[in-house]
Amino acid sequence: MADRYRPDSEPTTRTLLQRVLDTADLRTPRRRRSRRTLAQRTFLESPASKRLSSQTKTTTRRRSHGARSVVRLAHVQANGDLEEQTPRTLLKNILLTAPESSIVMPDSVMKPVEVSKVVQSSRQESSQGSLELQLPELEPSLTLAPGLPAPGKRKQRLRLSVFQQEVNQGLTRSQEPPGNADVSSLTSSLSLTFATPLQPQSVKRPGLARRPLTRRAVDIGALLQGLRDNSLASAPPADIVLEDTQPFSQPLVGCSPSVHHSLPHPSHIGIEDTERAVSHRRQSIGPGQQSHKVTEAVGSQEVMEARKSKESSEDEDTSGRPAGPELASSTPDLLKTKQPHQFLEPPSLPPGVAVLSSEPLESMPVRLPPRPRTAGPRHHQDPYKAGLSYYAKLFSFYAKMPMEKKALEIVEKCLDKYFQHLCNDLEVFADHAGRKTVKVEDLELLMRRQGLVTDQISLHVLVERHLPLEYRQLLIPCAFTGNSVFPTQ
Amino acid sequence: MEEVEAEEQQGFSHQQRLKAAVHYTVGCLCNEVASDKEIQFSKQTVAAISELTFRQCEMFAKDLEMFARHAKRNTISTDDVKLLARRSNSLLKYITEKNEEIAQLNLERKAKKKKQAEDANQSSREPAGGE
Repeated sequence: MADRYRPDSEPTTRTLLQRVLDTADLRTPRRRRSRRTLAQRTFLESPASKRLSSQTKTTTRRRSHGARSVVRLAHVQANGDLEEQTPRTLLKNILLTAPESSIVMPDSVMKPVEVSKVVQSSRQESSQGSLELQLPELEPSLTLAPGLPAPGKRKQRLRLSVFQQEVNQGLTRSQEPPGNADVSSLTSSLSLTFATPLQPQSVKRPGLARRPLTRRAVDIGALLQGLRDNSLASAPPADIVLEDTQPFSQPLVGCSPSVHHSLPHPSHIGIEDTERAVSHRRQSIGPGQQSHKVTEAVGSQEVMEARKSKESSEDEDTSGRPAGPELASSTPDLLKTKQPHQFLEPPSLPPGVAVLSSEPLESMPVRLPPRPRTAGPRHHQDPYKAGLSYYAKLFSFYAKMPMEKKALEIVEKCLDKYFQHLCNDLEVFADHAGRKTVKVEDLELLMRRQGLVTDQISLHVLVERHLPLEYRQLLIPCAFTGNSVFPTQ
Repeated sequence: MEEVEAEEQQGFSHQQRLKAAVHYTVGCLCNEVASDKEIQFSKQTVAAISELTFRQCEMFAKDLEMFARHAKRNTISTDDVKLLARRSNSLLKYITEKNEEIAQLNLERKAKKKKQAEDANQSSREPAGGE
């Protein structure tokens, strides 16, 4: 390696480093330690000066090369005794000991290897460890075998070849052997890098192959059958709409007899509408909304009839109830033609529908095709109040004391009136702004009246405090990559 | 700093004057009711009622402003007032009646003004035509 001559056209890092080392002055901090360093320096400076004077000429380069090599060897031998480690010396060591390998000239890798255990150990360690480990270890190995590839590499090559053979065997099974029987490891390693992507997994490890996704086709017949069963049983849509948290509440058994007599008419409508709702579910929401609203109204009719039969004796607070229905104003037009008398009663469907914004109208049909469930045992309860039992349970939990059933019932009543009041307010607010749909502004106004939203605390702050991240992302506009803001305002 | 304090004092004194005015009015009304129902009102009652009225007026004002802003308007209209009073039916009825009366009055006034304007035009044309 010392006698190797490199043409000008290929300045590798190695040559650059050599040039730097030779031309730069020695600037070690411990200059005046020993005579040897001085001697070396003077020895070095003379060829360096010679080289500086004639840099570009090739002949002088050769001379300097030769001089350099001599100098280097002397330097190495002299430095072997020194303990100082300057970057200069480290670099020199690297240059001396590291194999000359360049991507362009692969032949340099093939070199005779001298067996030296120290170098081998250092190699192996360096192959495992980091580059930093390499530097101090090279110190002891310097004196033995400067600038020769270690036998560790031969071992690596051997390993490579073994692996290569295995790969070849694998490849021969499926493909033609692309002449990989070469002895040279480098060429085989090159082919290896080209060949690995073609390695078929199925041959080696069948388990890794991806199975095609098997999706069950939606059985529409069973779906509709289940719908019919459910709509005939009792008023499930009301429950489903009311309770956000109990989407699959069991249909009531107690109400069924009273509801049945009026069902024959609405049931047909209900089935048709639910079918329509199912079919419209995946289509555009606009035209589908009407059918959805009709289904809701149908459900509300059933609910109200049940209520009528049961609550005729109860006091009804007429003062707080609105004159018109709480459903969107488009529905009464549809339903008044069918059963006008039922809308005299204040609508009960209420809270679930109007508290949430118009979104639930879209989500309702998703809940409409419920799985057919057998009606479980249930004590007599108003269908629309069943949704409030969840809140009543919460109430009893936070009370930290056992509560009577009557107390819970009264709590439910109060909650019912409270929610009706809220929804009434929301409807009025939306109407006040000349709109037909309840929007976030209406809710903000409501919360402001309640005192939750103040000049100090805004709605966004409350959303951040109390809602989970998914809802927060939907409500608070956030900027994403590509200049896109979601949700758009 | 001094200016801010002075302004606060002014506002406070203004508020006090308003409160005093409300108190006086409430006192008068209570006296009327007392003479009607033959029930006496204690002074604390009158004071409590006046304090309540004052705070409620503040609330009303804020709500009215909010409603007007919600409807994207800058002026408070009768719709806002009706929205505010919707809670109690009787009050709502009363207000709607008053509203209708006022609307009628306005129409009458407009009609009168139109007539006056026409008369003025005619009178101005006649002398102009005459001359």
